[in-house]
Formats: sequence, C-alpha cells, structure tokens
Amino acid sequence: MSHPVRTPAGSRPALAVALVLTLAAGASAAWAGRDWYAAAHDDSAAYAAQRDEALAAGEQAVQNLNTLDHKRVEQGLDLWESSTTGELHRQLVEGRAEFTGQVRAARTVTTARVLSGAVTELDDRAGRARLLVALRITVTTPDSKSTDKDSRMLGELTRADGHWKLSALGQAPVGGTAVG
Amino acid sequence: MPTPRHHLNRQRRRQAALADQPGPGGRSRTPAGVFTEPAPRTGERPAVKSVRESAAEPKRQTRRAEKAAGEKTGREKTGVEKSGRVPLAVLCVLTLLLGGFAGWAYSRAGELRDDPARGNTALTDLARTSEIKGQTGAAVAALFSYDHADTAPFERAGKTLLTGKAVAQHRTLLGGVLAKAAEQKTVITTTVTDSAVERIDGDRARVLVYADQSSVSTAGLPSKDTPAKAADQGVYAGAMFAVDVVLRDGRWLVENIDTFGR
Repeated sequence: MSHPVRTPAGSRPALAVALVLTLAAGASAAWAGRDWYAAAHDDSAAYAAQRDEALAAGEQAVQNLNTLDHKRVEQGLDLWESSTTGELHRQLVEGRAEFTGQVRAARTVTTARVLSGAVTELDDRAGRARLLVALRITVTTPDSKSTDKDSRMLGELTRADGHWKLSALGQAPVGGTAVG
Repeated sequence: MPTPRHHLNRQRRRQAALADQPGPGGRSRTPAGVFTEPAPRTGERPAVKSVRESAAEPKRQTRRAEKAAGEKTGREKTGVEKSGRVPLAVLCVLTLLLGGFAGWAYSRAGELRDDPARGNTALTDLARTSEIKGQTGAAVAALFSYDHADTAPFERAGKTLLTGKAVAQHRTLLGGVLAKAAEQKTVITTTVTDSAVERIDGDRARVLVYADQSSVSTAGLPSKDTPAKAADQGVYAGAMFAVDVVLRDGRWLVENIDTFGR
C-alpha cells in the first residue's frame, strides 16, 4: 500500500524545484524579451541611426564635390552627379560640358578633406537634413604648387531611394553688413 | 391515451434502463471478493484492479490473468516513476529553452544599446542639443570679443567659461591681439553664425562652430601678426573651429578649442 505512494512522492520535490526553475526562466525570458523588443523598437535609436547615416553620406558627398582631377574629369563628374539629387543635381548636369572645359584648361587637381561635420536639422520622415561640414580643400596647379583653403560648407540633404544625397551646397557667407 | 406503440416503446426504455444498472452483486464488486482470494501473492492494489478487470473472463483464464497482473504491476511501478520523469524532463527542457532565450535576448538588447549611434544623443535629445548650442554660442561670442575700453566682460568670460587646457589655448589664440590691443584701441566682435552639435555623450559634447569676427582698430597700423583681424576699418573674417564642452554645475564650459591645425 505504501510502496506505490512513495514513488510519485519521491519525484515531487524534484518536480517542484523544476517547476520553480521553469517559472523563473520564463519570467526572465519575458523580461529579456521585452527589453530586447524595447531596444529594437526605440524611436530615438532609429533617429540616431538616420542622423549618422545622413552625416556619413553628407560628408562623403561634400568631399566628392570638392574633389576633381583634370586628368579624370569624366569620372569625377560622374561621382558628383551620383552624390547629388534635386536642384543641385540638375545644375551639375546642365553645367557639365562647360565645367569640363574649364577644368581641362586649368589643369588643376583638387582634393578635399573633411575636418569636421555635424547635422543641424534632421527630418527623418520627410527625408531632409541640413549639415555643416568644415572642409580643407587643396588645389594643386600644373606647376605642382598646392594651396590649402578652408571652407565652411553648408549642405542640404534629401533622401532619395533610401540614400542621402546632397540637394544643395554652399559656403557660409562671411560678414553680412560691415560695421564702421 | 397510450397507444400500443407508446406502450411498447416505454417498456423497451424501461428494460434498457434496467440493463444499464448494475445488478445486485454486479460484475464489479462481488467477483472481486471471490477472485482476490486465490491471488494473495500479488498483494498489491494494481493487481486487485487487474484481477477485477479479468473477472468477467472464464475461470480457466484466471491463472493467465494473474500472471499478466503480476507483470502489469511491475510495469505500472516503472510507469509511475516514468510519469514523474516525463513532466520533469519537460520542465527541464522548458527551463533550458526559456533560459537560453532570456540570455540571447539580453545580449541582443545589450548589443543594440552599445551601438555608438545610440550613445550620441545629439539631435535625439533636442532640449540638450539646443541648450548646448545656445550656451556654446554665447560662450564663444564672449570669449572672442574684446573691447579695449571695457575689458571686464572679456576677462570675466575667460575666468568663468573656460576649463582645462582651453585656458592656455584661449590665451595663445588671442595673445597676439591682446598685446597690442590697448595701444591700437582694438574692438573685436565675434558672432556665431552657424553651429552644430556633433556629439553629446552625457556631460560632454563637441560643437562645430562657424563664427564671424569683426575687428576694428581705431589707432595704429594693421598688425602683421593678425592681418585679417586688425585693420583701420572694420574687417570681417570667417572662422571655423570645434569646441569640446563639459557640463559643470549646470553650465557648459569650454574645455578644448580645435582650430583644425590652424
């Protein structure tokens, strides 16, 4: 009579322990899962990722548009066009022939280095951003003389087909109105 | 008015009901009493049950039934152990699976949070971003503006807005101008035209600044050291540099001025 009763009773504490462990594992799985979901669906994280993506693309595009080798004008201008969109792109395409002639005549090699860059505005829904890029441009003339010039660039980016491209680029104006 | 058919049906139902009821000394009880007697060896409850099951069988099958009952008892015993082991195994597997998922999800969440993009709160924390922009702009304007007639604001700015190596950097940057400032009656006005926060990491940040600097010397000749800054008439110069700022007692102080090697 006592024998068959003892058998399930023997496994009962083990079952209880296992049940507690399973519940604990379930609870931690639920907690970790929620945590992971929250981390993966964090809006500010997605926004931060867009900001960094826009900045990286913007800095590269600004550098591209300030780099040109007179020996490889066509390749350089192709890169310019692929880095831009909208109005800026249209202007580059329209002025391409004239510009090619000018660069070939001047026989200069221009390279640029981004010193620093930062995004000032980002509308990740509309796909628009503005950025500042501090640029050092080096122009090498045919007689191998090179001059450095720092440029304070202001760029506007537009997202096209999932890629950030420059839609406007200019230099920050110096001194609006002179004082006495 | 019961018709013959109704009557027949009722009778049939009554018979059926009677057949369902176990009769006095029905199969399940009385034979058990009879058949437990020749099977004391099994002596166990499951055996009794098995015998009871086979009670309906003819008597010559009893021996076989007893043997089967004995085997069955053994099997049932391990079955009881098994029935304890199966849920145990299920629970163990569940524990492992859930624990594994928890660990994996935890590490995934950690990976996502360690993403450098997330660590930088520039623009994502708009309030802090504009606070830094505002304070840095004001600090830069105060630090790089100088009026020979009233040097107090300039000196105060140098004492309150700088920290660390920026103190020495500031002195180096303005040293040339300051040396001749008094005799040349120099007035420098610096205005931040554009700025952007590159990075915010807790109480540290880096800001890219575009500033316009107008320099007026009302006496003396333009200095050779700072030709862009000193002239008889107002001269504008555009400057670009980056400043590292740190939060100290609720104020963002300039800790480093990066003029990009210029």
